[in-house]
Amino acid sequence: MFYRRILDRWLGVLLSIIGVVATLWLGVTGRLALYIHPRYFEFTIIMAVIAGVLALAAFVVVPDGHGHAEGHGYAEGHGNADAGKRHWRWLGAAGSTLIAAAAVVGLLVLPPSTLSSATVTQRDLNGSASTLSRDEAVELVGADYTTFTMKDWISLLRQGVGEDVLAGKTATVTGFVTPDESDPENVFFAARFVVTCCAVDAQPIGLPVYSPGWQDRFETDSWVTVSGGFRTNPSQIGNEILVMVPDSIAPVPEPDSPYVY
Amino acid sequence: MPVPAIDKRVEAPRDAHAHPLPASRRRPVVGLIIGMAVFAALLALRMLAPAAGGSSRLADAARDFVSLSISVVIESLPFVFLGIVLSIGVQIWLPDGFLLRRLPASPALRRPILSLLGMLLPVCECGNVPLARGLMVRGLTVSESMTFLFAAPILNPVTIITTQQAFGWDNGILVSRIAGGFLIANLIGWIYSRHPRPEVLLTSRFQEECSLEDHSGQAAGKVGRSVQLFVRETGAMMPALFIGAGIAGMIQVGVPRDVLVSVGNSPVWSVAALMVLAFVVAVCSNVDAFFILSFGATFMPGSIVAFLVFGPMIDVKMLALLRTTFTAKTLLQLTMVVALCSAVLGLAVNYVL
Repeated sequence: MFYRRILDRWLGVLLSIIGVVATLWLGVTGRLALYIHPRYFEFTIIMAVIAGVLALAAFVVVPDGHGHAEGHGYAEGHGNADAGKRHWRWLGAAGSTLIAAAAVVGLLVLPPSTLSSATVTQRDLNGSASTLSRDEAVELVGADYTTFTMKDWISLLRQGVGEDVLAGKTATVTGFVTPDESDPENVFFAARFVVTCCAVDAQPIGLPVYSPGWQDRFETDSWVTVSGGFRTNPSQIGNEILVMVPDSIAPVPEPDSPYVY
Repeated sequence: MPVPAIDKRVEAPRDAHAHPLPASRRRPVVGLIIGMAVFAALLALRMLAPAAGGSSRLADAARDFVSLSISVVIESLPFVFLGIVLSIGVQIWLPDGFLLRRLPASPALRRPILSLLGMLLPVCECGNVPLARGLMVRGLTVSESMTFLFAAPILNPVTIITTQQAFGWDNGILVSRIAGGFLIANLIGWIYSRHPRPEVLLTSRFQEECSLEDHSGQAAGKVGRSVQLFVRETGAMMPALFIGAGIAGMIQVGVPRDVLVSVGNSPVWSVAALMVLAFVVAVCSNVDAFFILSFGATFMPGSIVAFLVFGPMIDVKMLALLRTTFTAKTLLQLTMVVALCSAVLGLAVNYVL
């Protein structure tokens, strides 16, 4: 029962400290961008510091052990109706332990990582209207294409421009390799995730690259810089109308900020 | 109508909790050292954990599950902390009765104003239950406290800011959420204000628990009580946040996209599905917009609104918390009314907007 009492009292503080340590570490090592939009960096760090101070104060001020078990801990909440039943209380303690262990492993043990192709297949590639606005694409036709980002090129392609407009224009984009579902043999996408808030809402965007036998040279999820022009997709079964025909594909290390905003 | 008999008990338990205090005064330095040690140990674990190499051993889907869940936690944490800090300020640092004394006398005016009280008390729903109990002790009627309970988590600056950050102004989600929350909370307040004997809506246990609640920290100073409130609020919210984040990540990775898309494209089923989801995941209203944002691309806006209105008012965690105060029968009625209203609102947004 001693263990359970300690857990009831300290689980929230412990989880806060785990979150604070993880946040500050990500901030100091410059990897917060793996999870949240840069506009939240300052706010996140400031609140983490405040919470850290309060958590530390909890060890100084709060008398441990005394007093009633507060009936509104989350784990406690389930057991509340059966307040007397030891079984439920132990189940609650086991659940709390599990949550704390999962938090430690997820936030403090596993290395931070970017999303992979597994998430691309779960989400519509280039499917989200909000990430690529049509209005912007209108102005893209006459613009200086040497400054185009991946987003700009995709907007242009989505706008349905013909091969003639794109003739002679060379794009250079960096993204991770993910297979085209309609023709995985010959076409892969150089893809990025667009993040509006945090990684949970990341929407994949990408440019189709026509490169038969690409699997032999590049692994899915590895990062490449592709350079080349556009033409009608030679693939018979592919869904993409226009594809990049690469002059060069070079493997590159994962960029420091893998997401686009 | 004030709840009788509660005020008189308020004084009683104070003595019972007075004597453990000297014991705690004995070792603030020991406590500080323990706290620093916990911080240092966790930081050391983080810095010593294997770098990128370990990631390849995890399957892609499992790794993405972890990344998505972590991103929900990291994004939500500062807002949860902000809510707690603000609620500490209002509950402990504002003078007693500072807010209640200024309420108008007419019940018809009191309820709309009480539902806007959330603007000044930016607590998320789990923090609202103890607060509403405290308000009832100080003379709020049962129906008024219900209006406050259901409106405050939605009409609350932190919730409004996070919803705006997630969905922006344009698509009607934010406006529908605010208007819907306000109307449903006032409808419920009006319905229960017609109840002939509102005290039977409350559990008998409420009285003693309520007085315990109020006095757990009375003996300590304001700083002490602030820290105790931090401990209590994090105890209620952090486990729910981590569980919610885990479920969010799991659904994103585990449920096939065609299932999500086919459910999400149906005006009726999308609303039903997200209301069930809101009930089960029980994420705090402060941050539920970030949670549901990932569904924004596949689910219809009405279902998002239903999620954002129903979730803060009723979910598994809220029912557990509310059961400390209201009878099971009352909670069943409340759940039915809120669910019905949220569903109507969601369908209206899907079909009309």
